[in-house]
Amino acid sequence: MTTQLAASATDAGSRRPAGEGAHRTPSAGRPPARRRLENWRIRGELAILLGPALVVFVSFVILPVALAAYYGFYKWSGFGTPVDFVGIRNYVTILTDPAFHEALGHNAFIVVGSLVLQGPLALGLALLLNRKMRAQSLIRVLIFVPYVISEVVVGLGWGLMLQSGGALNGALEKIGLGALRADWISDPALAIWTLLIIITWKYIGFAVILFLAGLQGIPEELSEAAAIDGASYWQIQRHIVLPLMGPTIRIWAFLSIIGSLQLFDLVWIIWGQYVASTAGTSTMATYMVANGRNAGSFGYGSAVAVVMFLISLAVALVYQRFVLRRDTAGALTGGTT
Amino acid sequence: MNTRKILAGAALAVAGTLALGGCAAGGGSGQNADGSVTLTLWHNSTTGDGKKYWEDTAAAFEAANPGVTIEIQAVQNEEMDGKLQTALNSGDAPDLFMARGGGKLADIVTAGQAMDLTDKISADAKTALGSSLSAFEIDGKNYGMPVAVLPSGIFTSQDLLTAAGVTAAPKTIAELEAANAKIKATGVAPIAVGAKDAWPAAHWYYNFALRACSKDVLDSAAASRSFDDPCWLKAGEDLQSFLATQPFNDGFLTTAAQQGAGSSAGLLANHQAAMELMGAWDPGVIASLTPDEQPLADLGWFPFPEVSGGDGEPGAMMGGVDGYSCWVNAPAQCTDFLNFLVNKENQEAYAKAFQTLPASSEAEGAVTTPALKSVLEAYAKAPYVSVWLDTLYGQNVGNALNVAVVDMFAGKGSPQGIVDAVNAAASR
Repeated sequence: MTTQLAASATDAGSRRPAGEGAHRTPSAGRPPARRRLENWRIRGELAILLGPALVVFVSFVILPVALAAYYGFYKWSGFGTPVDFVGIRNYVTILTDPAFHEALGHNAFIVVGSLVLQGPLALGLALLLNRKMRAQSLIRVLIFVPYVISEVVVGLGWGLMLQSGGALNGALEKIGLGALRADWISDPALAIWTLLIIITWKYIGFAVILFLAGLQGIPEELSEAAAIDGASYWQIQRHIVLPLMGPTIRIWAFLSIIGSLQLFDLVWIIWGQYVASTAGTSTMATYMVANGRNAGSFGYGSAVAVVMFLISLAVALVYQRFVLRRDTAGALTGGTT
Repeated sequence: MNTRKILAGAALAVAGTLALGGCAAGGGSGQNADGSVTLTLWHNSTTGDGKKYWEDTAAAFEAANPGVTIEIQAVQNEEMDGKLQTALNSGDAPDLFMARGGGKLADIVTAGQAMDLTDKISADAKTALGSSLSAFEIDGKNYGMPVAVLPSGIFTSQDLLTAAGVTAAPKTIAELEAANAKIKATGVAPIAVGAKDAWPAAHWYYNFALRACSKDVLDSAAASRSFDDPCWLKAGEDLQSFLATQPFNDGFLTTAAQQGAGSSAGLLANHQAAMELMGAWDPGVIASLTPDEQPLADLGWFPFPEVSGGDGEPGAMMGGVDGYSCWVNAPAQCTDFLNFLVNKENQEAYAKAFQTLPASSEAEGAVTTPALKSVLEAYAKAPYVSVWLDTLYGQNVGNALNVAVVDMFAGKGSPQGIVDAVNAAASR
């Protein structure tokens, strides 16, 4: 991965300055010494521009992944050098642990739930907000606000409101709907739905902003032409806007899926360090921290991290290959396909 | 093309090595260039009198020992274990940190991160502290200085009990269940439990295990870290049948133990629940959560009820000892500070600030409230006091045990599930 990145960047980098150089000195008989100097200048430029980013990338992404893979083969409590080599036992334990299966199931539920709930809602809101109306920017801001608030604040706020003795149940009681009171976050049958709704509330603003940006990119003329041809508003949305929004929707879905797979903070804040699995809202990430860091089993936790990484990677690659392929052709693939 | 790749790669490697080398340097504490000494201290009192106690005690020590500075960091209790472990791993640990003995301290000792205090504890301190020192003994050596003994039992709001017509403290689980029914009829929750933090719920299992299992079984499990004896199953079954009577507050699964009025301690402090099973630090926590932040006037206490048919001796108590350990690389003044902590004056101040039982027998005069006096009385009579099971069995097993108990509280687990979870955790 790094070498590929480095190589393609080098190619791209060398092509442009060299071209400029040729433009400045059109004479074909350039002295070779100067050319060598130019080459060194380019290399220096590359080292300075790419170096810091690559150092950070290698030391904070590649190295930790490699270390996690290494620790994953040990039973290691986190102190000193790991010595207790257990081979693939950690992986066998993870893949046969019902608690991990549950966590994976919750992740899958959130992936699908987020797409199904947020997608249509956000698209509808974006279409609405794309029309000229009163207080348009105010509504845009209001929808985007939850996305800007920190996860911790959102988690604490919702957690307090939804407690059994919290504001929501109090309000229901006061308006005579006491029968609807429920243990929103502590009832295992309800908790995951509560989580899904909080996630939708929190992240829908992001989808709306993405979709609005996508809508801005659709030329007005297409809609006008369709309207002249007698198409209704809904026909225009269905047959012109929606197809042209394809790339935006596919990218949003990708970000949403990856985010759902790695969901951690909201669950951790609302359900704390221990009860997420009991309340039925555990995710792979909370499973990893609960059974890795909190349990002091750093080897096991690292193995979970590797499994999570592989699952996310597999999903990402499959999605890239089969869904995003047309959109990213030429951009991510270097124009070779 | 190829040379360029190689060159780029080489430059990267060099830059990477430099960056990583830079990361490894730095850290460490203790002796400064001018001979002065800085001690870092991590404790878990983030509010009120407890926080002030540490500030005052550190200031007094600094005044008595010129050139010594104590840097205090208050770490939220639920964050302490994880944060401390990370700090110890990084090689930049606090010089003084809170310790509770048992398997958790043993893990730190095994890793060579705790200072051997055996010859550094003063003779006076040894006499005054007596048996509480043994909580920090590992393989005949001492690694911690106890500051408080914290046996658990059921803290009560006497007003609520009286209102419900419960006049005598329940002596058996059957009596407790009968009392619960009466309290429920008055519209308050009989018992508050902060299951969100897992350990408060797990304390119920520990106490049932204390009644079901003999002392030998409890101790030998600390070495084997597996639950093979049938008494572990009995403890789970006893707890399950108690849970079936629904004695706890609504939504206990997302109730925290100590944070805010909605926590289990807060429910007791605000007369929303009548009882709570907790360690002897509870009066201090409850006091900080009452509407006027004063100690709860009607706070009472009774020991965990007896359960029939078990191997545990009647009167045995489950509890903890809070203490402080020195990091292995801490400056020598660290042990001076520990000895300073357990002198009569500081222990009395500790007992008052935290409203708890001091580790030093010299300071027992500072215990004045009726609830704590009952705890002290029961503690003196107890045939033995077992350390919290999650502390005793280490972080790994302890964590799995606590979560398995919470599962059972939520109706998702079983007595066998607890045993299985513990045995499975030992393999991770």
